[in-house]
Amino acid sequence: MKSDGTSTHSGKLLGEAFLSHDKAGRPQLVGALCEACRTAFFPPAEVCPSCASEEVVDEPFPLTGTIYTLSTVHVAASVWDVPYTIGYVDLPNGARVFSHFKGDVGIGTEVELSRAVVGKDLEGAKIESFVFVPVEA
Amino acid sequence: MAKAAIVGVGMTPFGKFPDKTLADIGWPSVKAAIADAGIDPKKIEACYCGTGLGGMMAGQRVLGRIGLTGIPITNIENACSSSSTALQQAVMAIRAGKYEAVLVIGVEKLSKFGGGTLPLEKEDWEVQNGMVMPALYAMRANRYMHEYGLTHEQLARVSVKNRKNGASNPDAQMRKEVSVEEVLSSRMIAEPFTLLQCCPIGDGAAALVVCSEKLARSLRTDPVFVAASDLTSGKFTSGFRDMTTPEITVRGAKEAYEEAGLGPRDIDVAEVHDAFSIAELLYYEAFGFCERGEAGALIDAGETDIGGRIPVNPSGGLLAKGHPIGATGAAQAVEITRQLRGQCGVRQVENAKTGLIHATGGGIAGFDHGACSIHILTI
Repeated sequence: MKSDGTSTHSGKLLGEAFLSHDKAGRPQLVGALCEACRTAFFPPAEVCPSCASEEVVDEPFPLTGTIYTLSTVHVAASVWDVPYTIGYVDLPNGARVFSHFKGDVGIGTEVELSRAVVGKDLEGAKIESFVFVPVEA
Repeated sequence: MAKAAIVGVGMTPFGKFPDKTLADIGWPSVKAAIADAGIDPKKIEACYCGTGLGGMMAGQRVLGRIGLTGIPITNIENACSSSSTALQQAVMAIRAGKYEAVLVIGVEKLSKFGGGTLPLEKEDWEVQNGMVMPALYAMRANRYMHEYGLTHEQLARVSVKNRKNGASNPDAQMRKEVSVEEVLSSRMIAEPFTLLQCCPIGDGAAALVVCSEKLARSLRTDPVFVAASDLTSGKFTSGFRDMTTPEITVRGAKEAYEEAGLGPRDIDVAEVHDAFSIAELLYYEAFGFCERGEAGALIDAGETDIGGRIPVNPSGGLLAKGHPIGATGAAQAVEITRQLRGQCGVRQVENAKTGLIHATGGGIAGFDHGACSIHILTI
């Protein structure tokens, strides 16, 4: 158990349970939608954090969004490849998603989902994650 | 409803004490507060002890060192607001007439974690995916800079001001002044924050004796009264939240001002939660010390210096005094109590009659912060 709060991952894909593909094969996040109050949220949960309803269903999320804010981290636990860039993507369905970013990004950049290596665990196995990258022009 | 007053304050200077136990870091501040109050320790009826990461039974461990045991002890964890919450609970009990005199303690030993950023809750989604506290605040700074044109120099000025104040505070962890250049060229932690824009990791304790007005006036000619005692928690949202305004502090400030029947212009001195440079600037706005977007101008004009219109963090704040998280709230109360009594020497804010203390913390996904506790003190 590391003092910085990360558990030891082993060759894993962060957020694997929430990753899918759309009909065209493009990577897509699967979030949640509350059928009672129509709040879309990520990561998914069994209960709605807005109204506490349990009428929550899986919801494929929009493929692209806009970066609200971000920061490039230079000092972190050894599992992460530093420097790394993290922040929030605002999706058109009203959900804000916390994510790693790769590529030339800033506030306001339109981004789409991809995958990338973000670190390695204590055994040296790679840690991958879903990441957002600038939409190809 | 009875009024609550602070009659005794004590502090263990903040620093790094890896070879001391939490209890040994804590007890000197308790003895000092009791001596400062001039109260018979046997008159203390209960204790509220705040610690973020100090472990179980923190209050009992500290009081066990000095034989102050057998009284009701409530141990409180509310992240960086732990001992502010302890004060809020103490005030609530005094106001309700349940006790005449109680002890408030804030104690923390972060050096046990070695170096690095503060350990956050492992079950939190963002923490699992690489979030660290400096990055969370850095994101606020980046968005604020984007929307309001704040500069790196303005951010650095917060550190410069607070390190200057801390240099005059024997209880502060960091005692050396720094320049804007030194701040901006220190090691990059999470862009735009360099090391000197982040509060240091450390250990320390602070304690208060809080009692009813009647007992207070029999002990001191200068009891410091609690005009407002507010606790609130952040509102979770999964959607778009404006990260350039700290919604939890804005709500808490409104509640505190209403309770005290006061406004921003009535505050003579404030100790706010400057965990990172941007934080103090956001709190200028949240407390109404300036308009939205004007925080950079306020610090540029020197208005929050000790000699300015609204001195903020004369103790050096978290940036210079340090931030052993559970001890911070109580330490802020120590500083403001001393300011109102006129005991701060070189750091003294002239004619300070009304002070404000504010601690907010708890980095968890979906919240501005988890907890926020604000007190307004008057003499």
